[in-house]
Amino acid sequence: MNIKDNLKIITEHWGKINPLKIRDYIDVGGYEAIRKFIEKMKPEEAIEEIKKSGLVGRGGAGFSTGEKWEAVKKNKGEKYFICNLDESEPGTYKDRAIVDNNPHLLLEGIIISALAIDAKKAYIYINGRYIKQREILEKAVLEAASNKFIGKGIINSHYDLEIEIFSGAGAYICGEETALINSIEGKRGEPKFRPPYPTETGLWGKPTLVNNAETVSNIPWIIINGGKKYSEIGSAVSPGTKLYVLGGAVRNSGVFEGPTGMTIGAVIDKLGGGLKKGKELWFSQIGGSSGRLVLENELDNSLTFNKKSEIPLGSGAVFVFDKHSDIYDFLLSIAGFFRRESCGKCVPCREGTFRLYEITERMKDGEISERDKEAIKDILWTLNNTTFCPFGKFAAVAFLDAVEKLKILDL
Amino acid sequence: MVYMQSTEKILLEFDPETKNLLPALKKVSAVFGYVSQGDAEKIADYFNLPLSRVYETASFYDEIKLKKEPALVIQVCSGTHCALNDSFRIISEIENALKIKAGDDFNPKVKLEIISCLGQCGEGPIVIVNGKIFTNVTASGIHEILEGWI
Repeated sequence: MNIKDNLKIITEHWGKINPLKIRDYIDVGGYEAIRKFIEKMKPEEAIEEIKKSGLVGRGGAGFSTGEKWEAVKKNKGEKYFICNLDESEPGTYKDRAIVDNNPHLLLEGIIISALAIDAKKAYIYINGRYIKQREILEKAVLEAASNKFIGKGIINSHYDLEIEIFSGAGAYICGEETALINSIEGKRGEPKFRPPYPTETGLWGKPTLVNNAETVSNIPWIIINGGKKYSEIGSAVSPGTKLYVLGGAVRNSGVFEGPTGMTIGAVIDKLGGGLKKGKELWFSQIGGSSGRLVLENELDNSLTFNKKSEIPLGSGAVFVFDKHSDIYDFLLSIAGFFRRESCGKCVPCREGTFRLYEITERMKDGEISERDKEAIKDILWTLNNTTFCPFGKFAAVAFLDAVEKLKILDL
Repeated sequence: MVYMQSTEKILLEFDPETKNLLPALKKVSAVFGYVSQGDAEKIADYFNLPLSRVYETASFYDEIKLKKEPALVIQVCSGTHCALNDSFRIISEIENALKIKAGDDFNPKVKLEIISCLGQCGEGPIVIVNGKIFTNVTASGIHEILEGWI
């Protein structure tokens, strides 16, 4: 931890400016990053800054943003940029909060990202349920266009960009980038085999850059302040700030910005204000429904996007369970979620999530048999090791922890 | 005034490019409540795609209905926040009160669906009755909500 603990990059103007007025955003220095990018930088320099910043994807996978940009940039011809706003991880609503509070910050990030890789067309793929947020974005795009930040000859330069908003239709898996691309192409939103990666063969077979909305929202700050400065914030392995979404038994629920690398305990105490009066910590789940469960003795783990870290930060959601939480309600909630959202492309996931849900129902009713207990271990192993895309793994994570750490089978 | 909308008119809002297939399906489903076979055929013609291709896409997404929905559709969120605030008790209250089972679609008049997070976790449990969102619902309070609809 360092002195930049209280630095706000994404949430700085939240609640202070009117999200529906571009003027408010411009008055606090908004759209300056685009000016700097267009007037003083070459796209290659911008990409260099992003690489230097160490920014990694905020959707959960934690891949280096700069490297992704470079991979798309080096291809010639038609390209696309897609901002992934298909946020549907239960308990995660950070991207929704970004749109609600400062949509122009997101737009500015999108415009710079698209221009840096020479894309002339950008899509915002938004969760179909986010109807109000779509309206906010539509208005923001119109306003930005009438201020010449979108369209032909952006602020009288040679850059052109068109932005289109595309609503999803209720499928969690469309947050996965190849499934998302399938969905825009009017196909079933099932993931595709990678490689080829979208950075080579993406939307309509053209090189495509897909970045999470929170990742994109960091771009303007990096362009203005430089990559080096960004790389000094938070943890060295995945620098910057992160939006944490707190919920459960904590005093303050909601979206909070803090540096990466905070310990779980610090997130709960400093951002969440500790536990509600009279509540006693049992365990917490980090990173949404597909996140790990951590017990009290693991609160010293720091949260980063490091691939090797035991507790990945995931979507940034931190849900705190107190001793009176009903564990079966929780398990049924996640098992039901993964059963509904499994796309059905591969058998281990389609059947595994279904059987897991059935057993969980029996568990909740107190009718679990010895045979079920054996089956759970089998199903979890299969989900963890044999599914086509990481969705199956996600479905097993919390359940595995519940078996190993919370000893649910011995209750 | 009764405002009539035809499938043809809706389709004309979209250019016949495949990227508009999903938005067009969504719109037809939203306006008529579902995509009938006749509509699916019109959509296939309009986009110049095989009918099977239209169904392939349509059947994948939750927001596109391929069957006429019952007059009363109740949805209860079971995301982590809502679940730990008694979603499942609310669900069984509804099941008992209306004598239906969540997830079944046998009853032509009413359907109860368990849905996933809407991103309104702070205000859960969330119950949606025919599109109207109710927040902070309780197991006892659900009866009052239901009364308004039966």
